[in-house]
Amino acid sequence: MKGIVFNILEEMVIEKCGMAAWNELLETALPDEDGAFTAGKSYPDENLFALVHAASAKLETPAEQIISGLGEYMFGELAKRYPIFIEQAPDLKTFLLSVDQVIHTEVRKLYDDPNLPSFEYTQLDSGALLMEYRSPRKLCILAEGLIRGAAHHYQTPITLSHPTCMHTGSDHCDLIVEFGDEQ
Amino acid sequence: MSNDDNPYIKAYEREKRARLEAERQLEDSSRIIYKKNQALEDSYEKLKSQQALMLKQEKLATLGTLSAGVAHEINNPLAFVASNVSTLQSYLQLYQHVQTLLETHYPRETMVPALRSYLEANDFEYINEDAEELLEDTLEGLKRVANIVQSLKNFAYDQPAKRQSADINEGIESTLKLLKLPLEHIEVEKHLAPLPNIDCNPSELNQVILNLLTNAADALDGRSQPKISIKTYLNGSEILITISDNGCGMPESVVSNIFVPFFTTKDVGKGTGMGMSISYGIVESHGGSIEVISEEDKGSEFTIRLPVT
Repeated sequence: MKGIVFNILEEMVIEKCGMAAWNELLETALPDEDGAFTAGKSYPDENLFALVHAASAKLETPAEQIISGLGEYMFGELAKRYPIFIEQAPDLKTFLLSVDQVIHTEVRKLYDDPNLPSFEYTQLDSGALLMEYRSPRKLCILAEGLIRGAAHHYQTPITLSHPTCMHTGSDHCDLIVEFGDEQ
Repeated sequence: MSNDDNPYIKAYEREKRARLEAERQLEDSSRIIYKKNQALEDSYEKLKSQQALMLKQEKLATLGTLSAGVAHEINNPLAFVASNVSTLQSYLQLYQHVQTLLETHYPRETMVPALRSYLEANDFEYINEDAEELLEDTLEGLKRVANIVQSLKNFAYDQPAKRQSADINEGIESTLKLLKLPLEHIEVEKHLAPLPNIDCNPSELNQVILNLLTNAADALDGRSQPKISIKTYLNGSEILITISDNGCGMPESVVSNIFVPFFTTKDVGKGTGMGMSISYGIVESHGGSIEVISEEDKGSEFTIRLPVT
């Protein structure tokens, strides 16, 4: 997992609970690590999960909810860091369609081996967008949060459903985005 | 608040470590980009020289086709001109014989005045001698034309392949024996590594070696401590032959045209300008390549690569 994900988690925790809370999380979850994360460097996935679980225990909130919240928060932070991708997409659907081919292609130019998830898209007759998510990390909940963050940014109400999931034995997740207004 | 209690002290230290790590990553990336750029530049340079080589080969291939065509077109009229001149020579002998018979049996004094004055006015004795010489010179000229046509055909490797298994080193040794006299005052250094026999036309390859050695000897004319090095060795599936000299070397303008037919730096009449182009054609017809590097006033080195068949 790239350091940027840890950086954003750190920013979210500090913003919501303060610096002392982040220090405490680091000490609890990663007592043997120095806790410094650099955006472009890769860190073990387990470190992220350990931090999420520690936060879940401390806040008495399910881990899924924290991951989803992180996804939503992460969208805003990524948008601040890389505004160009938002500027290029005039609406939410265009943005979502650009994730796999445009944004992830750019990420691969910057970072070696970023282990990105893949998305396959189907535009449904109803106007909804089916995004097939595949990743060995099975972080579909993070993807859900990111989609919600994007919807919030574009001020587009959405209904997000997740009928097929890797966590229930499927080889991929179906994320269906129904748009509140006509896209 | 003491430093221990201030959570931002820890945060600051973490940030500092993260920053140092980011700087290190940036430096690493710069280094990688620099190396990749270097590799790209090297590849670009190689590509450029390969392209130049390809253009040169293309030019020589075109000249080969042209040479074969010209040779073919000249060969036909050449054959009947040569044959006609030979016939004319025999006719001339007949006429000369008739004249001798006439002069023997009908001395000048007995000839009708008109014939006698015509014979005297036109100096037929001189015409007889000169006609013979003219025809001989013509035949000689035709032979030279035939040789040039043959050279053009050789360059275009329009020759039936007569291949046999042969040892390149033996060919070099026998060629050196042939050149004993021209190489008399030149130190010849040989490093001939054992080579496998290859399917080739040994006399053609010997001609290439002969051409290179003759040129080397010419380049060494008037030089102090003249030396020619001949080296053969096996490199993977290739036989390499290098012939180098410490002679006068060649400027780039000569090097880039060295394999072009009729290109010569020798005085008129001293070289046909076909030696190196024929050598090129021969090596190409063996599936090999010939390259030259040269530096003015330092010397030249020719490298022949031949595939082991």
